[in-house]
Amino acid sequence: MTKKGLVLAAILGAIPMVSMADNVGNCGWGSKVFDGQSGVVPQSLAVTTNGTFGNQTFGITSGTSGCTQDGMVKSSWMTAMYIDGNRHQLARDMAVGEGETLDALASLIGVEEQDRSLFNQTLKNNYAKIYASENASAVDIMSALKVVLSSDVTLARYSENVS
Amino acid sequence: MWPGLFQASVLVFILIFPPFSFAQQPPAYLQELVQQARAMNLAEYPEWHALLHYRTRLLTGGVKSEADDPNFFAAPGGKTDPEAELEATLALFFSEPGDKEDQPPQCRFIARHHWLKSRLNFDAKRLPPQACERFDEWYAALNPAGLTLVFPVSYLNNPASMFGHTLLRVDAKDQTEETRLLAYAVNYAAVVGNDNGVAFALKGLTGSYPGLFSVLPYYLKVREYNDLENRDIWEYRLNFSEEETRRLLMHLWELRGIRFDYFFFDENCSYHLLSLFEAARPDLQLTRQFVWWAIPADTVRAVVAEQGMVQEVVYRPAASTRMKYRISSLPDDQQEIARALADRELSINSEAFLTLPADDRAAILELSDEYLRYEIAAGQRENEEVAGLMQQLLVARSAIDIDFHPVRIRTPNVRPDQGHGTARVALGVGSDDGDPFRELRLRPAYHDLLDDDGGYTRGAEINFFDVTLRFRESDDSLILQDFTPVDIVSLVPRNRFVRPVSWKVAGHLTRSRLAVDDEPLVFRIDGGAGIVTEVNDYGLLFGFIEGSLDTSGHLEKNFALGVGPGVGLLWTYPDRFKTMMTMRALRYAVGDTHTRADAGIWQNVRVTTSTALRYGITRRREFDNYWNEAEIALLYYFR
Repeated sequence: MTKKGLVLAAILGAIPMVSMADNVGNCGWGSKVFDGQSGVVPQSLAVTTNGTFGNQTFGITSGTSGCTQDGMVKSSWMTAMYIDGNRHQLARDMAVGEGETLDALASLIGVEEQDRSLFNQTLKNNYAKIYASENASAVDIMSALKVVLSSDVTLARYSENVS
Repeated sequence: MWPGLFQASVLVFILIFPPFSFAQQPPAYLQELVQQARAMNLAEYPEWHALLHYRTRLLTGGVKSEADDPNFFAAPGGKTDPEAELEATLALFFSEPGDKEDQPPQCRFIARHHWLKSRLNFDAKRLPPQACERFDEWYAALNPAGLTLVFPVSYLNNPASMFGHTLLRVDAKDQTEETRLLAYAVNYAAVVGNDNGVAFALKGLTGSYPGLFSVLPYYLKVREYNDLENRDIWEYRLNFSEEETRRLLMHLWELRGIRFDYFFFDENCSYHLLSLFEAARPDLQLTRQFVWWAIPADTVRAVVAEQGMVQEVVYRPAASTRMKYRISSLPDDQQEIARALADRELSINSEAFLTLPADDRAAILELSDEYLRYEIAAGQRENEEVAGLMQQLLVARSAIDIDFHPVRIRTPNVRPDQGHGTARVALGVGSDDGDPFRELRLRPAYHDLLDDDGGYTRGAEINFFDVTLRFRESDDSLILQDFTPVDIVSLVPRNRFVRPVSWKVAGHLTRSRLAVDDEPLVFRIDGGAGIVTEVNDYGLLFGFIEGSLDTSGHLEKNFALGVGPGVGLLWTYPDRFKTMMTMRALRYAVGDTHTRADAGIWQNVRVTTSTALRYGITRRREFDNYWNEAEIALLYYFR
């Protein structure tokens, strides 16, 4: 596992993965933590006042290793953060063999147009390896993806971009 | 601290960094620039006002900036004095960063610098430009080519979103349709703590929460709105040029960490996005259209109304919309299989499932997965509880190879900006058991169950500050018939997959007919919970248990508390007519005991987007009075 992988794993380990809302080191600036008001009464009250309120359910932890000091995602971390932020949608696209989330992943790791359908099909065929379990972390998914790509003659050249 | 040491350090500092000693003696060039700016009256330019967020004060005259953060101003009185602010800003450009600032002044106020430089033609020799590496790095990471206004609409099950929200996407230079997710989003939101509902409401109304801009990957916002909150997203690609986009982002850079007091109704997310647009293109006059409140859909409408502003509109369906589509595209028995798989009543290895054709199995597995994901987001199921099952479903799906028939959800015919205006005025004539009356009704916002649904969410009613004035011909009197500050109804149909509870809540100041000639105003709070079923594509059938509390000095015991059933049918004929039939009976058993009941049928006909005709009749009972009320009204929608 690379050093970055270790750092990411440490961050992932530190955050309980209880729901889709949990993410590693989202970059960005601004701040907020609002999980929504729960219960009928607060919701009814909130509704009377809160019509145009844009709540956010993602914590912004700028300053994690993957972010620049001004909150942008470092280019070397884009794939890791992307997989982490889109884990479930990506799982579905991968199992189905197509979809926007999968396209964006292909684009992130530089898969050329002529290899796209092979890329999609290969990931679909190996879905059970890439998402080895329901607890697979972004790091696990990335390293499995790397292995799957490198074992295909045509796609092997993209495997080093998965980092 | 030794004072001597401090002075010595200052001396050393000055020796190392030869002084811009304008603290004692302003540089001559600054004087020149100030004179020039005064001669040009620069402080009154719309560009300057847009950059400082100055707004004309309604009562006192003059201007005041909407920014509420002292760090945003160079001059102590900069919040209300554009000229002092401009001159202090110029002076700042001659200085090095202070102890607490992490970047040179020309970078901290980079948009102001850019504009003043272009107006005053700064002489680089006499006002040396400062390098802005941090801005440059940030800007390079954004790699901007253009801007998209993003509008996640409201969703019923998520009352906190009722009017929707707007944010901005910074589209990258090499962006294609498939890499839109990788762009960055600019979001403006209130920073709220864990306040309870009441404190939350009060603070939101009085501007006690700080509002801040944030920048984060767009995919996080898509996941949040589309998947977690089940809100359809509309993306409006705007025609800002690269130069305008740069201006907007330079200004955004100045707003990093700058606090604005967040007001739910007016100075909210949508309003402040408009103010960014004005920084990009100062001749836009968007914010001044929204003095009292800014409803996101209205702000989108205002942007679309600017000639040539919107280039393309893209619809991004929510998880719930995708699920609904998947459900409707499967026959009933297969829907049942999908549900049974998700509820572990059926195994993916069972014969009943495996003997189905591959296409059907694929579609069923996708629906089961979508359904479970929806349930997790809705808090109906725990992730831990179903993650393993979902993994099995997707592994099974990945093993099925079919020719793709991907989910292609039709874009709704009417976009949110194309629906009726949110304000409505109605003129009606009617009969109260034969006594004619005329009525004027004004509703500032937003949509009721009979209003045309185009661009709105079906089954969602939100009325604010609805006032009805009635002129009675029988006694020549003009009376306040009803004032409804708040009225919300959320009708969400159930099906085999989801079983939401629908609800309604309202507060009224309304007339209660105690006797034939005794009809005082009472304060009434209504609420209810119920269930709703869809009758094919056109009807919503609903049943509620309702409660009501009336309070008034005119009641013998000053109050009456009632409860009872209510049922109704809302039918939409595509695509102009809506009919609603309702029946309700409340027994007030506590306080002044009596019965209140009504049964009515009303129809709404959309004539144009901004006009409609509404008519109907209601049979009412209150105490021992029974009467019929019929009315026909012309409705005009505007904003």
